[in-house]
Amino acid sequence: MPLEPKHYLKFLDNDAEAKDRSELLGLLDVRIRALCFDECERDRIVCTLTPLCSKRFLLRLRIKNNLTIQDLPQFCYSVHKGVIERHFRNKTIIYRPYDAYLYLIDFLDVFFHGDYRKLNKFISLKNWGDAIEIFDDRINNRNENFSYLLTKNYVLFKFEDKIHLIFLNKGYVLCNANRENIVSLEMIYGLCKLYADIYFPEVKLKIFGSNRVEIIVKIPYDILARIKSDATEVNDSKADDYFWNTLWEDLNALTQYCNEIHLQMDKNQNLEIALSISILTSNYLLDEKRALLRFRDLKLILNFITRIYTDYYIIWV
Amino acid sequence: MEENEKDLIEINSIREFVMASRIDDAVKLIALYLGDSTEENYIDRLENIIELLLSLHGGRVVLRFLIENLVIDISSLLENLSKKDSVLRYTFLLLLKTICENECDLFLPYSEDLLTSDEPNVREADLQLLIYMAGGDNIINDESLIRSITLKLTDEKDFVVEKAIQTLKAIGEKSPSIVTKVLTDFVKENSQVPENEELRNSVDSIIKSFVTIEKIEEIVEATEEKKDDDLKKEVSEITDKELELKKKDLELKKKKLELAKKEKILGEKSIKEKGKVLKLKEELLVEETKLSEEEILVDKAPMKKIPKKLKKEVSEIRGKEIELKKKGLELEKKKLELEEEGKKLEEKSIQEKEKVLKLKEELLVEETRLSGKEILVDIVPMKKVPKELKKEVSEIKAKEKELQKKDLEIKKKKLELEEKEKELEEREIIEKEKTLKIKEEFIEKEKALSQVELELKQKVIKQKEQKILEEEAERVDNQLKKLSKKEKNDENS
Repeated sequence: MPLEPKHYLKFLDNDAEAKDRSELLGLLDVRIRALCFDECERDRIVCTLTPLCSKRFLLRLRIKNNLTIQDLPQFCYSVHKGVIERHFRNKTIIYRPYDAYLYLIDFLDVFFHGDYRKLNKFISLKNWGDAIEIFDDRINNRNENFSYLLTKNYVLFKFEDKIHLIFLNKGYVLCNANRENIVSLEMIYGLCKLYADIYFPEVKLKIFGSNRVEIIVKIPYDILARIKSDATEVNDSKADDYFWNTLWEDLNALTQYCNEIHLQMDKNQNLEIALSISILTSNYLLDEKRALLRFRDLKLILNFITRIYTDYYIIWV
Repeated sequence: MEENEKDLIEINSIREFVMASRIDDAVKLIALYLGDSTEENYIDRLENIIELLLSLHGGRVVLRFLIENLVIDISSLLENLSKKDSVLRYTFLLLLKTICENECDLFLPYSEDLLTSDEPNVREADLQLLIYMAGGDNIINDESLIRSITLKLTDEKDFVVEKAIQTLKAIGEKSPSIVTKVLTDFVKENSQVPENEELRNSVDSIIKSFVTIEKIEEIVEATEEKKDDDLKKEVSEITDKELELKKKDLELKKKKLELAKKEKILGEKSIKEKGKVLKLKEELLVEETKLSEEEILVDKAPMKKIPKKLKKEVSEIRGKEIELKKKGLELEKKKLELEEEGKKLEEKSIQEKEKVLKLKEELLVEETRLSGKEILVDIVPMKKVPKELKKEVSEIKAKEKELQKKDLEIKKKKLELEEKEKELEEREIIEKEKTLKIKEEFIEKEKALSQVELELKQKVIKQKEQKILEEEAERVDNQLKKLSKKEKNDENS
């Protein structure tokens, strides 16, 4: 039986002495170097159309570990940037560049081409006034359709349904965030706030220390009162169908990602759905640790809230 | 914004045509769309079309029509694409893959020129198209094209070198012998380049990629055939050179003969001229003698009192002088006649030599024909030799070939020496021609001088005649005066 990846992992985790571990990792390093700088980049067509690492995850590995652009396979990175730009401009692409990392200047070059030097300067110097002026000018005067939110350590952008995050202390940007783990509560709160500002401004949003974020969405009594009390009597009404058939499925699905979900009636007999979110989900991994919340999970939660809010709250208001 | 909207409308209508399988209409519309573009937006429009074709099911068919109808020219298309991002460039190349595989005639004519483009992206794209072409049913065996691809092994851009390696590997799959031959030649030619080691490695990897046990025989046979061909070529080159040299030799001899003829003609001319001069001199002499006789006659009158013996002696001496001069002239005439005879003899010998040379020439032509046939006979492989003897035969053949090669080298050297000799001879002839020209000029000058001399002599004779006449007139006057005086004295007395 040949060696399998799990054997390596086990060896690295438990059995190996420091020397053996470093030797094994050295071999891995040599292999990765050869793969990126020689085998893949040597043929640019291969590097562009069928890169030797799936979706260029080795670039992500390098950027996230604070390597500079000089330490990256240059052509691969240029293609990576090109793919993000083409995806942004809705052009043909070979793969969707989800969870793609770019250096700040390149991100600004792709998404704010005309002002990218100024913005890079302002953001690097934390001159937020001038940076916001440029963003607002683009939104208000140049018909650009995006939203942004500045937090302490991040700048969050929402271009249509795509989310990009500038990591201010790292100098890189996560583009088209999807399967990446959310690493801080600040990020969760920021995203909730960004979505809330656009889709559900009247929803209550609270942050509880470094523990959790709570969102409370309300379904008015009037809406609830119109729902048939017997499931067998459900007719063509959209609300009936949703509350009897879909709501419980949605809530069931969300229990995987939320810490807690509370359903309660307020004093006016309105139904309150309180979703408590933290960076840890209720899902457990193989190693019995709790899985981290991913951007796509949070999006599901936010989409649920948006649906309730637009379909049953706004109508009532 | 308006322009974008217009673009969108046109792109949508093209899309609808393609989706409705109205390919001709789509092609026409694309032609109009690209035709209306300005210099600034041409590339953007081209990109729009490519984007559209990439995403549509019938995109490849439309693209083929566009290329066939020259709406899109491959060369300019690749150049324009080189300015765009690599994703578009390579995805578009991928779109061309099946067209290249099935209809390589559309692209092959452009390939060699595109390889010399200044833009490395164009060179790379062209090589990629060649890979696709070689991947189909097509066999690329154009030696000149393969040589151009091989040159890219030393391209300044690594990615072009890599693509050239891949291309040669792909072509080598179906044409191993040509690729092997071109590559080995190329390595030999570049044996003194410092990056030769890298080049050798590349060539090594290319050849290794397509050399299999099945293909070795084919390659070896082809290389042996090529060696034979090379030998044949060398032999034919040497025989050609020999022929050329012999021809040159003959030409030189001809020239020599011509020179000799010219010399002879010149000699004849000079003799004739001298003859003429002599005749003139003779005539002058005759005139002079007449004059001197007249002088003598004139002198006779005053010398009435000179004794008759003296008169006789004087006249005898003058007669002898004239006779001597006549004899001298006759001697010169005889000399000239002798010289003429000598020239005639020389002419005859030259004619005979010419005949001999013609015969030699004919013999040479026959010899070369025969030697060509012999070589062909030598090189024909012994197909029916038993297998066991094959090795020995091949060794013997190899030795024979080596010997042939050595012979050829010796012949070459000999030919070179002969060539040098011929050159020297040619130079000699040129020098001789120059001296002949000088001689000709000299003769003409002599002629002119002798004419001048003659004219002078004629003048002198005329002057003498006049003097004689004047003296005669004076003498007549004096005698008349004396006679009149005598008559007067006689009358007085």
